[in-house]
Amino acid sequence: MWWGGRGQSFNIAPQKEEPEMGSVQGSRMPELRSRHLSGCLASRCLPGEQILAWATGVRKGLEPELSGTLICTNFRVIFQPCGWQRSQETPLSSEYDFALVNIGRLEAVSGLSRVQLLRPGSLLKFIPEEILIHGRDFRLLRVGFEAGGLEPQAFQVTMAIVQARAQSSQAQQYAGITLSKAGQGSGSRKPPIPLLETSEDWETERKKQGARGWRVSTVNERFDVATSLPRYFWVPNRILDSEVRRAFGHFHQGRGPRLSWHHPGGSDLLRCGGFCTASDPNKEDIRAVEAMLQAGHSDVVLVDTMDELPSLADVQLAHLRLRALCLPDSSVAEDKWLSALEGTRWLDYVRSCLRKASDVSVLVTSRVRSVVLQERSDRDLNGLLSSLVQLLSAPEARTLFGFQSLVQREWVASGHPFLTRLGGTETSEEAPVFLLFLDCIWQLLQQYPAEFEFSEFFLLALHDSVRVPDTLTFLRDTPWERGKQSGQFNSYTQVYTPGYSQPPAGNSMNLQLSVWDWDLRYSNEQILQFHNPGYDPEHCPDSWLPRQQPSFMVPGPPSSMWLFSRGALTPLNQLCPWRDSSFLLAVSSRWLPRPAISSESLADQEWGLPSHWGACPLPPGLLLPGYLGPQIRLWRRCYLRGRPEVQMGLSAPTISGLQEELFHLQELLRKWTPRISPEDHSKKRNPNTILS
Amino acid sequence: MLGKGVVGGGGGTKAPKPSFVSYVRPEEIHTNEKEVTEKEVTLHLLPGEQLLCEASTVLKYVQEDSCQHGVYGRLVCTDFKIAFLGDDESALDNDETQFKNKVIGENDITLHCVDQIYGVFDEKKKTLFGQLKKYPEKLIIHCKDLRVFHFCLRYTKEEEVKRIVSGIIHHTQAPKLLKRLFLFSYATATQNNTAADPKNHTVMFDTLKDWCWELERTKGNMKYKAVSVNEGYKVCERLPAYFVVPTPLAEEDVQRFQGHGIPIWCWSCHNGSALLKMSALPKEQDDGILQIQKSFLDGIYKTIHRPPYEIVKTEDLSGNFLSLQEIQTAYSKFKQLFLIDNSTEFWDTDIKWFSLLESSSWLDIIRRCLKKAIEITECMEAQNMNILLLEENASDLCCLISSLVQVMMDPHCRTRIGFQSLVQKEWVMGGHCFLDRCNHLRQSDKEEVPVFQLFLDCVWQLVHQHPPAFEFTETYLTVLSDSLYIPIFSTFFFNSPHQKDTNVHQRQLSLPLTQSKSSPKRGFFREETDHLIKNLLGKRISKLINSSDELQDNFREFYDSWHSKPTDYHGLLLPHIEGPEIRVWAQRYLRWIPEAQILGGGTVATMSKLLEMMEEVQSLQEKIDERHHSQEDPQAEPPCLLRNSARLSSLFPFALLQRHSSKPILPTSGWKALGDEEDLAKREDEFVDLGDV
Repeated sequence: MWWGGRGQSFNIAPQKEEPEMGSVQGSRMPELRSRHLSGCLASRCLPGEQILAWATGVRKGLEPELSGTLICTNFRVIFQPCGWQRSQETPLSSEYDFALVNIGRLEAVSGLSRVQLLRPGSLLKFIPEEILIHGRDFRLLRVGFEAGGLEPQAFQVTMAIVQARAQSSQAQQYAGITLSKAGQGSGSRKPPIPLLETSEDWETERKKQGARGWRVSTVNERFDVATSLPRYFWVPNRILDSEVRRAFGHFHQGRGPRLSWHHPGGSDLLRCGGFCTASDPNKEDIRAVEAMLQAGHSDVVLVDTMDELPSLADVQLAHLRLRALCLPDSSVAEDKWLSALEGTRWLDYVRSCLRKASDVSVLVTSRVRSVVLQERSDRDLNGLLSSLVQLLSAPEARTLFGFQSLVQREWVASGHPFLTRLGGTETSEEAPVFLLFLDCIWQLLQQYPAEFEFSEFFLLALHDSVRVPDTLTFLRDTPWERGKQSGQFNSYTQVYTPGYSQPPAGNSMNLQLSVWDWDLRYSNEQILQFHNPGYDPEHCPDSWLPRQQPSFMVPGPPSSMWLFSRGALTPLNQLCPWRDSSFLLAVSSRWLPRPAISSESLADQEWGLPSHWGACPLPPGLLLPGYLGPQIRLWRRCYLRGRPEVQMGLSAPTISGLQEELFHLQELLRKWTPRISPEDHSKKRNPNTILS
Repeated sequence: MLGKGVVGGGGGTKAPKPSFVSYVRPEEIHTNEKEVTEKEVTLHLLPGEQLLCEASTVLKYVQEDSCQHGVYGRLVCTDFKIAFLGDDESALDNDETQFKNKVIGENDITLHCVDQIYGVFDEKKKTLFGQLKKYPEKLIIHCKDLRVFHFCLRYTKEEEVKRIVSGIIHHTQAPKLLKRLFLFSYATATQNNTAADPKNHTVMFDTLKDWCWELERTKGNMKYKAVSVNEGYKVCERLPAYFVVPTPLAEEDVQRFQGHGIPIWCWSCHNGSALLKMSALPKEQDDGILQIQKSFLDGIYKTIHRPPYEIVKTEDLSGNFLSLQEIQTAYSKFKQLFLIDNSTEFWDTDIKWFSLLESSSWLDIIRRCLKKAIEITECMEAQNMNILLLEENASDLCCLISSLVQVMMDPHCRTRIGFQSLVQKEWVMGGHCFLDRCNHLRQSDKEEVPVFQLFLDCVWQLVHQHPPAFEFTETYLTVLSDSLYIPIFSTFFFNSPHQKDTNVHQRQLSLPLTQSKSSPKRGFFREETDHLIKNLLGKRISKLINSSDELQDNFREFYDSWHSKPTDYHGLLLPHIEGPEIRVWAQRYLRWIPEAQILGGGTVATMSKLLEMMEEVQSLQEKIDERHHSQEDPQAEPPCLLRNSARLSSLFPFALLQRHSSKPILPTSGWKALGDEEDLAKREDEFVDLGDV
């Protein structure tokens, strides 16, 4: 197996061409050879891709050193080892492929002391002996150039990278490039994960969650309530679309309260933006807003999402520090590593996210109520918190399908500004909130190795995909922009859309592809590794039977209203800040001191009183994450990829090894006794059936 | 039948909460005293164990969180342990008893396991020792296995408090005579019934044959010989009766300086190079004697420098490598991170976890030990050199480094039996002063240095980094570290084999886990748990070292080159020593902290999955075998070890009892702010309705 106990990164080393495996590789014909460089340089280009320069070199820093060719295109930088042939299916997932947007730092080295940091637009001052490409995704590529008359090539390829980077950061010109497989791309192709761009998708999901008191609202179908909102969302049955429209106007950027998730026990998890304190709603509007927040429950908890979580600037700073720390040439001494790690504060932020998510899932699970996540913009930490809560409380969300739908719903469709947050635009609002989210899930995966259907490799693949410009999933800030680009408004040509222009002709079909089309970037063999072999099917969704849900719609005002802040519930007099001039919420709750008994977790408070959960109060399916200092760990396989010496021997695939043995034995047995196979319960977790 | 109620005014150290909750009101206790004592749980005494003193109506706090719940019961002190017998023992169910330690119960503290005792007087915490003028209202016991017990004595009769507190202090803190160790009473009371299973046999190295066997196994018998010159401890009391020296070495040389200054063989590498150790010659002022010493050493060096012996490199471990003082300081800082009196304190330190951890420098000491061992490994493996470890008595860091090198280089030492034999060879026979280093007799705190603990922590790093290379798991190491303080095993209670032989006449027990399974009292866990302790995958270790690496001439190159190649779990094994790689042994250090518990998670989740799959593989294999033979009845399902025990926690198997359900009632303060009683009642009703529908 490719990992073989060492696993320097997720990527599988390209298969060495071997004649005896000819049957598999019959289809592998280098048909798209745009330029003939040399015999071993049989790189297939993507549509619209051009090779700008190339030079032969040696991949360094890892045993054994590989000789090959460094190629720069207008799209990416590739190192192609000699005699290795990449599989046709996976154009951008090799260990040595760096999309230009992914290059975080470029250094040219000559001799022992001359190092030049190459920014987009800078001029190379010497002929490089070695070039170091640091990926924003923590990868590192070191290529040494051979001496002996090839120096001009080395110079050229380095300069080409510098220039290509400069161009790529100026405009998103590669958004149009799609990496669809040659000969594929039929329009009838169904996306593997519902993209939630149609009302049918929303209706299906609503039914799946059993949210009976809710309906799909079409009020934003033309993106005229808010461009950052999806075209469809869920609102309470009783609220009219006109009320929704008016009520949403009193929220920051028009992002009013919408259902995120309906807990099978009856609770509802909602998210919304901050109240517009400047607006002056009339009585009916206030009533509508309150009714939407209340969602028919008698118990309402407003969660101040931003409270105790890092700000966007904090996240960005921590991530930058983490990257600096994890660089292979990081100057931190080994015995100072721990305090340096602490100094990045990244793990601290991970921990506070987990802690808050744990508290909120207790709120949602412990009694039937409406829990409203409120963040001013409703586009960053609300998504993080709401997804984490669902991962903790719903076993479905921990399956591969469920998790991808979750990300699509809570992040992509809900308008997380991916492009801005991942540094794709020239604004200062970069903050990798999504990567923080992935780290949180990795922690959960570590703590609950049997509860997740997906593996660490899947998280890594997702982590690496955020900067790959092949699909629009992570390349746009709002659903509106995404829809505009993919031309899905063709049937709505009369619709007013601000700044709307004709989509570029000819590529609308391909733009329907999403990041969930994993076969665009990963081979089948790699996709198989997305499956966690330790996933325990006994905890699988169908064994999780939720309690019967009563008709919960309670008329009248809520009997209790709380603000959840600083780890404790405080009673609220009213839900909205407007009725009196007291501005209860608008003044923010930051002055509320954290109760001295900070150690008393909310779980104890909530479950301590009536022990309705019986002897073991944790309802099945609910995970409470550990968030103590010693329990939060560094995601080494992701962040230390640039330091191969640390990566060695990271995985001891004992479970996978056993599973192979198991499959082998079952196969053997099946051959001999065909009647045993039907009951064979391990069939259920055959990885071949997961992603289909 | 026991009422639940709220008792006001509990005495916490910082009194963060003024209330705690108990099962029994003190009034009730006083009225029902007779009844309670009649139905009380019986104290289990080991053979030879004697009850010394006891106190009733003691409240043991359950350290779930800052709200202080408690259980009433009896606190007893015997000559073996301090035990708390709760009045309400009905909670034990099957799972819990299945994984219970056979010797030490959940609320038992062996006297040797007690680290510090504190008393709380008027909310102030003070260390307790010697004669007390005033008796505390609360007793806090810190254990060496990092458990922390809180006993409230407020409702106990005054004379009982006096008796139990002074009894506990006396029996745990006062200097003791070796003869008074419980070990001896136990040994006298039990019959010598250790029938050693010949197949599962740990080599004890107390006979000449054992040493010859080891020489043969490592192919060291060409150049080294086992000698019996110290039989009956004629030469010195520091060395074992039998040991191994270079063949040409004369017996008179051994006698010359009472065994000092002679190279003693530890282990031979497959390429012929050997690991030797030597205790330094006594320091002398007299020039004449120094001259004699010098010429003696010259003679010795000449012997081992000449072919067939390899070039010798001397590693002076008492020099600038690591001092015992450093180890002691680091560990005492380190353990404070885990000895938590109350949760509030824990959360306060939690924010700065990494920097506190770093400032203890315990992890750095582990790194330095591992690094030294890698350096030595490099010399032996790559440069084909002999290594001579030099230390004043050759019984502290020598034991540590030489056994670490053997764990890395010799796959046999990574099996359970091999590891136990190694501990027996290098530590027990090597004369490590367990008695002094663990301070079992409470004679000198200065001598108390956790060298063996450091060794186990180093091995844990290896186990953690390369689990398939070891037959045993971290649970085995944790249990082994606990057995340092259980005085029914003689292994860790003597300073030298001589001391043991002169004090114990019959041959006694060895390491705890080698017990024959026939005697239920002996083994540490029940057999079912052995599955967990023994890493099943490790069974496949059988091959010997197969390939030798190319010659490298420095450490870094050796280290990098080894790590860039695929790991051969049956060959040389090197640890990673980079900053992020040295970790905290979470199982040992965090197991008693309820906040660290992950219910239904942790490695045990993977482990149970693994076991399940192995069972499946096994049953499939059986089915296949059946088909080869005849059509027989289908095999009964193999016993499921973990499946029936619902959700295990990450602290398994150490803290199975710490469930959320053990929390009886919510502290009122949390809810007081939230509304009046009526409100609460209403909400409760709503909840019940929903639950019933």
